[in-house]
Amino acid sequence: MEAISFRVTSKGVYLNLNPESDYSNIKNALIKHTAEANNFFTGVDLYVNPNGRILSAEEIEELIEILSRYKNIGQLYFLSQETKNRPRTMDTILINRTIRSGQRIKYPANIVVIGDINPGAEVIAGGDVLVIGKLRGVVHAGATGSNESQVIALSLQPTQLRIGNYISRSPDDKNTGEPTVPERAYVKDGMIIVEALKLW
Amino acid sequence: MAGKVIVITSGKGGVGKTTTTANIGTALAMLGKKVCLIDADIGLRNLDVVMGLENRIVYDLVDVVEGNCRLEQALIRDKRQSNLFLLPAAQTRDKTAVTPFQMKELTERLKEEMDYVLVDSPAGIEQGFKNAIAGADSAVIVTTPEVSAVRDADRVIGLLETEGLKDPVVIINRLRPDMVEKGDMMDINDMIEILAINLLGVVPEDENIVISTNKGEPIVLKNGSTRAGMAFMNIARRINGEELPLMNLEKETLLNKLKRIVGLT
Repeated sequence: MEAISFRVTSKGVYLNLNPESDYSNIKNALIKHTAEANNFFTGVDLYVNPNGRILSAEEIEELIEILSRYKNIGQLYFLSQETKNRPRTMDTILINRTIRSGQRIKYPANIVVIGDINPGAEVIAGGDVLVIGKLRGVVHAGATGSNESQVIALSLQPTQLRIGNYISRSPDDKNTGEPTVPERAYVKDGMIIVEALKLW
Repeated sequence: MAGKVIVITSGKGGVGKTTTTANIGTALAMLGKKVCLIDADIGLRNLDVVMGLENRIVYDLVDVVEGNCRLEQALIRDKRQSNLFLLPAAQTRDKTAVTPFQMKELTERLKEEMDYVLVDSPAGIEQGFKNAIAGADSAVIVTTPEVSAVRDADRVIGLLETEGLKDPVVIINRLRPDMVEKGDMMDINDMIEILAINLLGVVPEDENIVISTNKGEPIVLKNGSTRAGMAFMNIARRINGEELPLMNLEKETLLNKLKRIVGLT
């Protein structure tokens, strides 16, 4: 595999550093590329993805110096490891059945369930969780630490609800009754808030 | 003749699997079907006691599987119904004495001779449960109107699905209509809503069950005289393909009883 590779996204161009390569190979490949394709990134933002490699301050400085050789390059960003793990919003799994007690669904991005999540079942998503049915089990949205995730259910009555680093549980008195409208749970000011779902 | 193998299971213990197996089996035999009951609860056998056949056991399921006897030698003919048989479990061994593969072979053989083979599953979801469901064509889940029993039933339904046993049906056992009415007990709709499977029947709580179980005489034998017996007979008829409405579980008022006797309703 090449020491460096490029990927074009809507935001700009990602420069991936191959974690298997030596730093010197990456450096040489970049020097070569900046010389050969000097006009490539005119006005384009460049995102450097170290892919888990830990770069020293000198190495970063050196890379910045090399990358600045591209003519008229836009902004230059270095991605941190967390950014790499954040799910892309397009990644969603659809589960078209009822999740029963003892069953566990785990997926790094969004999960949509068409059916119920019964008590004793667990659904763990890196992103959002949407339930077209009754949510009575345990759900963890944003399990990779994203507090911006949300949980939506036609009937939201979970045993326990976790979003990112926050946990809330159902009230101990069971007389609160079944919710009559679809609800959305999200984190606001360090608390999990549940409110009627508004789609407009 | 290719019969049907039905496993009777629950997850939770003490909900009435064995009583249900004994009664449905007896009822199907009373309907003229050739039936074999298998006790898959190796090490904690009970079905023979409930059927009142304990004293006739010579060979058992493990003996058959290990080749110590022929299958026909281990089958015990019921003392009341000549077309009802019991394959008892071994009491001195444990669940690991049999493998799911051996159970499947065994039920395949029995099903050639019988109309129905009912497998009484042990509680739990370990090896004994896996053995019990190995050869089954369909499953009946027994539950009681308790949150814990329904939770376990839900778990078991999920496990059955992964084993490829689709569309199990549920029997709600030991229901007390008076408590349901007061809101002290889960009602049928609550349970069906969670489990999302078809209801095969509802058996009301009935103290006659305790008496009949201790005597070793399934309650369906006194058909009509007890509500639980009637419920089990109805369940057997539904398994046999009849369409029957659910029994009216409300207590008969004196006035209604009078009306019924005089023929007003």
